Amino acid sequence: MSAIKRIFGLVWALLGVGIVPLVIKQAMKEIAAKPSEENWIFWSIVIVVLMPIIAFSLITFGVFALKGEYDTLEDV
Amino acid sequence: MAQNVRDVSTNEEVTSTRRVIAASSVGTLIEWYDFYIFGTLAKIISEQFFPKDNPTAALLATLATFAAGFVIRPFGALFFGRLGDLIGRKYTFLVTLVIMGGSTFAIGLVPGYKTIGFFAPAIVFILRLLQGLALGGEYGGAATYVAEHSPAGKRGFWTSFIQTTATLGLFLALGVILIVRQTLGVETFSDWGWRIPFILSAFLVAVSIFIRMRMSESPLFVKMKKEGKTSANPLAESFKEKGNLKMVLIALLGATAGQGVVWYTGQFYALSFLQNACNVEFVQSNFIISIALLIGTPFFIVFGSLSDKIGRKYIMMAGMLIAVVAYRPIYTIMYSDANLKNKVEVVEKKVVTVKNAVKGADSLITTITTKAFTDGTTYKETVKAKFPADPALKAALPKDKLKPETKKEVTLPQDLYYKMIGLVLIQVIFVTMVYGPIAAFLVEIFPTRIRYTSMSLPYHIGNGVFGGLVPLISTRLVEATRPGPGLPPADPLAGLWYPILIAGVSFVIGSLYISNKTNNMDVD
Repeated sequence: MSAIKRIFGLVWALLGVGIVPLVIKQAMKEIAAKPSEENWIFWSIVIVVLMPIIAFSLITFGVFALKGEYDTLEDV
Repeated sequence: MAQNVRDVSTNEEVTSTRRVIAASSVGTLIEWYDFYIFGTLAKIISEQFFPKDNPTAALLATLATFAAGFVIRPFGALFFGRLGDLIGRKYTFLVTLVIMGGSTFAIGLVPGYKTIGFFAPAIVFILRLLQGLALGGEYGGAATYVAEHSPAGKRGFWTSFIQTTATLGLFLALGVILIVRQTLGVETFSDWGWRIPFILSAFLVAVSIFIRMRMSESPLFVKMKKEGKTSANPLAESFKEKGNLKMVLIALLGATAGQGVVWYTGQFYALSFLQNACNVEFVQSNFIISIALLIGTPFFIVFGSLSDKIGRKYIMMAGMLIAVVAYRPIYTIMYSDANLKNKVEVVEKKVVTVKNAVKGADSLITTITTKAFTDGTTYKETVKAKFPADPALKAALPKDKLKPETKKEVTLPQDLYYKMIGLVLIQVIFVTMVYGPIAAFLVEIFPTRIRYTSMSLPYHIGNGVFGGLVPLISTRLVEATRPGPGLPPADPLAGLWYPILIAGVSFVIGSLYISNKTNNMDVD
């Protein structure tokens, strides 16, 4: 179980890293295609609020899991 | 004799715990009421304070709706959580109640844009932020306070009463608004009557403060304070120490994020889907949701209680997994049952009425088409087209202002109406599975000295940010499948991918990393 937790830790960390360029690229593409106020507000919320939370939490959580910090948390 | 003494003591404990639950729940319910009346009356508030022809005011309206809903709530969680761990739970959630009640009451008194201009939206914006801050501090305090009074082995059961308050707060808000509107009439309500539900909050809060003032501080906090074990810096201890930060992260990613999206999808997205994708008539759609919520609410307590026996994790994870798997089939049935393309029209029952209302030289032509279908469904389409008489004005107006407004209303027959209630009820059951045990789960994974701070943040990020964004992101996903302006979306269910993805990831993380230990609360 611990090995699976650690392997998945790497997955979470990579997901956290990968999400940043993906979201920014998509935002730039959509705003360039239609620079409306609605688009700006939507992507601002995603980039300023949602993305940092997802990226930070996934990366930190992933690194912790990879280092085995969660190995001892088992069901009883 | 000894038996009698023990019985008296047990009875007193039960009465005291009931008082604790009642005092905490009533206050939290009122805070949700305050928070929801703003959202429910958003249209009227927008007309009174945020006129569309002023772009700055309109932007503030958007910010007010979003910022207070999710960005501010985690800040409230940090601010009041820290306070609750430093000075105590009781006084902190008294403060949040006063701030929430005060700002709600004040919104009811702010003069409109027509009277004080830009100050009106600015003041309302600040008051709305205060509401969000207060809500961020309230929930963690109430859950912690109840949990720290609850006997071991019944924490899930007792805290589940706090979990019912969000739903009941929504009911209270809708009920008060409907009664006031019905009593005063729609016109008077839109003019000034909308202020009454806000002003009424002062009375509700006063009652709640009176009840809460009579309660004593959490026994665990009192014990800890006596022993000088309170945290000197709860924020640093909560988020800088690896041992605790890892629990905050697991709570957020493995539980509250998934719970937040399931909560919003089962209640708010379902209503929005019925009204916008299925075009179910306003009153009928509201009844569908209300009845499902009413029937489903006791399940918060059922699953909270069950979590004391089999563990919090299994129930929450089962709720998330079933939701992930079942959302698309459930919404496919909902959409198909209301879709007129799947029904046979009784052609001879079709009625078309055209009205021409002339105002000055301008005219407004209203065309109402009603159709009946063999299964008992009725459909009403109202098209309003404006025709300004002045050609210069007509030319100056943007095209979308001249575009006819179309309103579609589907009224379902009795059998489909009940079926819809059943389909929404299933989603509410998912909500109760993930939400019922979560307060107990959160309070149990953090130590008493930093519990208020540590549990509040993941809860409000999960609910406020991940859950609060469901309407915004889901709408966007559906819009992305629209082949062109005015055309129907290719996939009206595309909005479900956001809650499915978040709940799916949360399920995997929660299943892998969360422990199913129960009653492991640190009471030292």
